[in-house]
Amino acid sequence: MENKLKEFIAGITFTEPAKINSNTLLFDEGIFDSMGLLSLISFLEEEYGVKVDDLELSEENFQSIKAISSFIEQKQK
Amino acid sequence: MKNTRLPFSRDIIKLNNVERVIDRICERIESDVFQTLRRRGGIIGISGGIDSSVTLALATRALGSQNVVGILLPEHDSSPESKRLALDLANTYNVKTIEEDISGALDGFGCYDRRDQAVKRVVPEYDPELHKMKIGIPPELLRNNLPPVFHVTVVLEDGKEKSVRLPLNEYLQIVAASNFKQRSRMSMLYYHAEALHYAVLGTPNKHEVEQGFFVKYGDGGADLMPIGHLYKTQVYQLAKYLGVPKEIIARTPTTDTYTAEQTQEEFFYQMPFEDMDLLWYAWENNYTPVEVGPVMNLSSDEVVKIYNNFERKQKTTEYLRMAPLRDYIF
Repeated sequence: MENKLKEFIAGITFTEPAKINSNTLLFDEGIFDSMGLLSLISFLEEEYGVKVDDLELSEENFQSIKAISSFIEQKQK
Repeated sequence: MKNTRLPFSRDIIKLNNVERVIDRICERIESDVFQTLRRRGGIIGISGGIDSSVTLALATRALGSQNVVGILLPEHDSSPESKRLALDLANTYNVKTIEEDISGALDGFGCYDRRDQAVKRVVPEYDPELHKMKIGIPPELLRNNLPPVFHVTVVLEDGKEKSVRLPLNEYLQIVAASNFKQRSRMSMLYYHAEALHYAVLGTPNKHEVEQGFFVKYGDGGADLMPIGHLYKTQVYQLAKYLGVPKEIIARTPTTDTYTAEQTQEEFFYQMPFEDMDLLWYAWENNYTPVEVGPVMNLSSDEVVKIYNNFERKQKTTEYLRMAPLRDYIF
């Protein structure tokens, strides 16, 4: 899952995949803006059937690939 | 060498000598318009907001009121208050005004239709004839340090609001369509500027410029931006000194872009401007969270998050401030 997320994020943000690892802080590094976040929300819905509520839009859930991945796992339980 | 860095306080960005600041800005406007740009005067789009009002007041002081024209640019969605306040402002400074209703141009561009189609895809019951709409960041996400995720809010006939998070394509279409407004205003300002051989004075303040709260080649299109270096707190200081009408000073800054009323805080800034000014200053001047937190009643962690948010905003809006890339000489 982490690889798929990484591939998607690298693709929509025109970032070299090698520059992103599981713990890269996506927002602090300026990789993600509103457009990136919205694209990711759609991707999570389409790819994993995960619907993101507003209150779940937090740094805790979205700050890194690792965080996103564990958020998806939680939602799928 | 003596360390002159002042301890961080709530007064740190207040201008100590407003008159001197105004004199220096006015000298620069005069030299920019008459010497550098070689234009005969200045054109300013006036909206009854604080920024355009201060810019107009400065321009009349620098160039003479006979060499300044205020352009009112109402359109279908504008608040009537904007026009009344803009006329009051022009009257205060004895400035000629020209009113140009740009609704027809916006209709021609399909501004309203394109926007409304995107809104309807998300809120099917939306009827632009009956309902008002706006986009913004919901209150529960205002303190969130993620990039803003916008919701569209439709105000129904009974006053009830329906708010839905915008998917990417609808968000982009609404913003792109709405930006016709700023770009049409800019076109009209340049029409009058060129017809009179005047310069266009832009009205963005420091936050709008640095956080990217402007439309590229829209309100970001101008020959000079005399308040582009001033914090909002400082703009208000100038407004009081320059005698801007009290009603304009007291007015909550709004976007005046969508049919429903919306503050700038709700739309973009995510915090009151008084706090944002201080925190932005602190961030720019490398004050540590330990110095800033107690003054702002925030924990160090919260200050760090806000700093990160500022850095992100500046980075992700850099392209708005870039001139066309033309160094294609190999």
